[in-house]
Amino acid sequence: MSYKDLREFLAILEKEGQLLKITEPVMPEPDLSAIGRAAPDLENGPAVFVEKVKGYRNSVVLNVHGSWQNHALMLGMPKDTPLKEQFFELDRKWSDYPIKPIWVEDAPVKEVKITKDINFFDLLPLFRINKYDGGFYLSKALIVSRDPDDPDNYETQNAGTYRIQVKGKDLLGIQPVSFHDIGVHIRNAEERNEPLPIAICLGNDPVLNFMSSTPIEYAQSEYDFAGALKGEPIELTKSEQGNLDIPARSEIVLEGYILPRTRRIEGPFGEFPGSYSGARLQPEVRIHTITHRTNPIFENLYLGMPWTEVDYLVALNTSLSLYRQLKRDFPEVVAVNAMYTHGIGVIVSTKSRFGGYGKAVAMRLLSTPHGMPYSKIVIIVDEFVDPFNLERVMWALTTRVRPDKDVVLIPYAPGMPLDPSSEPAGMHTKLIIDATTPVAPDKARNTELLDIPAKADYWLSYLRNLMKNVKEEK
Amino acid sequence: MICPRCNSKTVELLTKAPVDDAWEVYICDTCCFSWRSTEDEDIIDPEKYDKRFKIDPATIPTLDQLPPSPELRKKSKF
Repeated sequence: MSYKDLREFLAILEKEGQLLKITEPVMPEPDLSAIGRAAPDLENGPAVFVEKVKGYRNSVVLNVHGSWQNHALMLGMPKDTPLKEQFFELDRKWSDYPIKPIWVEDAPVKEVKITKDINFFDLLPLFRINKYDGGFYLSKALIVSRDPDDPDNYETQNAGTYRIQVKGKDLLGIQPVSFHDIGVHIRNAEERNEPLPIAICLGNDPVLNFMSSTPIEYAQSEYDFAGALKGEPIELTKSEQGNLDIPARSEIVLEGYILPRTRRIEGPFGEFPGSYSGARLQPEVRIHTITHRTNPIFENLYLGMPWTEVDYLVALNTSLSLYRQLKRDFPEVVAVNAMYTHGIGVIVSTKSRFGGYGKAVAMRLLSTPHGMPYSKIVIIVDEFVDPFNLERVMWALTTRVRPDKDVVLIPYAPGMPLDPSSEPAGMHTKLIIDATTPVAPDKARNTELLDIPAKADYWLSYLRNLMKNVKEEK
Repeated sequence: MICPRCNSKTVELLTKAPVDDAWEVYICDTCCFSWRSTEDEDIIDPEKYDKRFKIDPATIPTLDQLPPSPELRKKSKF
């Protein structure tokens, strides 16, 4: 692929007209979060590079993933590639898993090393993301940890994104939820009463952030997937302490330990469902070493009322991961659209092999590692309905659903605590709507679908050209 | 100075701006809230901080643990 790290990707975005630069100094609050809110609202959703933030030394970049154009460029495709084509290109690249990383000497992230008088504010232009957040947050970090019960195993090493609150010059709060992979690592460390080494990597190759927010299996490597997506190995290096593999070309890496069996107040934080999480007692991290590139760029993520950057970041990776898990057992599944609030809402397109098949596919989705806690509303449509075309999905709902037979509630199932309708937090009721056409032994009234007129493709392209000419004449 | 969010007196200077003397950041040791001197009044003034987000220090120990601290492992008998 034509870029190897964040800096090279920003150069591509600039060349493609997908990067704006702000050279005038801005205030940390409220300017940076306002820029993060505004960028994805622009028609082409560019990334924004802010050169100078008052009081700070280093620059900030926002909204790197925040549009389908940037998403396509990340995948090495033309920026106007339609969403469905991006989905199937991602699926094709996914099949190349694993492409193993290589470990390099002279990693750029080791250019500068700090072990004394650590103060995050000297290096990171921290800012409040949403007004009533409990502090300043790192919202786009790739966090590396290993299983203390299996410390030499590269496969179970995890690279995930979890929210991080700044609580001191060298102290952070972290949210390692039990159903995430780091939840396993911290539980095993705390049962032993041992600190858990972690590396918090900032300003990464955009494919790495994409994979660190993808729900893959516990023993699958995010780095091996990132290699598959890029078609070449990711460059890694070793952490200074703790035997962790970290990206060699990230901008900044904070190394430290999760303090065992310690909980202090964290939050609230404006979260991806468009509302604040509560404050809870969560673990803390003491940082002992920072390594960084010269003149490091601080990348962070604004998340607000959907859609903002996070919705683009976790859209197709969540969809594809669920698609792959369904496809293994249900080969009739055609596509999965899990783009709504990190897969709380999911639409699956499938051919039905026998009556009730749509419901069976939905139940499998609800037992996948991600679908089990996150997915609440599952809509199943026929194989000829594009799940990314919401008008067609609404057509299926309005013309296929028999509410007495096709709507199912599963009460009191595992839920996502950050979904404000989850009650108590972490429990919710699942809703399945089977909008597929009944097949035997199920029965329905005989229905004949309307055909597309002959020569429709010819006229579509003819009219498109005509439209283009009209625009050019203006 | 008291914390704008929980009204505790356990406030300390976390840092000054690395350049230009542009601001200071304070942090509360009781509720871990941090704020910058240049933020809006309704963030830095305890009287004006939104009541929906105020925290009573007495309630902090009763908040949920996420994740809960697990039981310590017992040493193996074998």
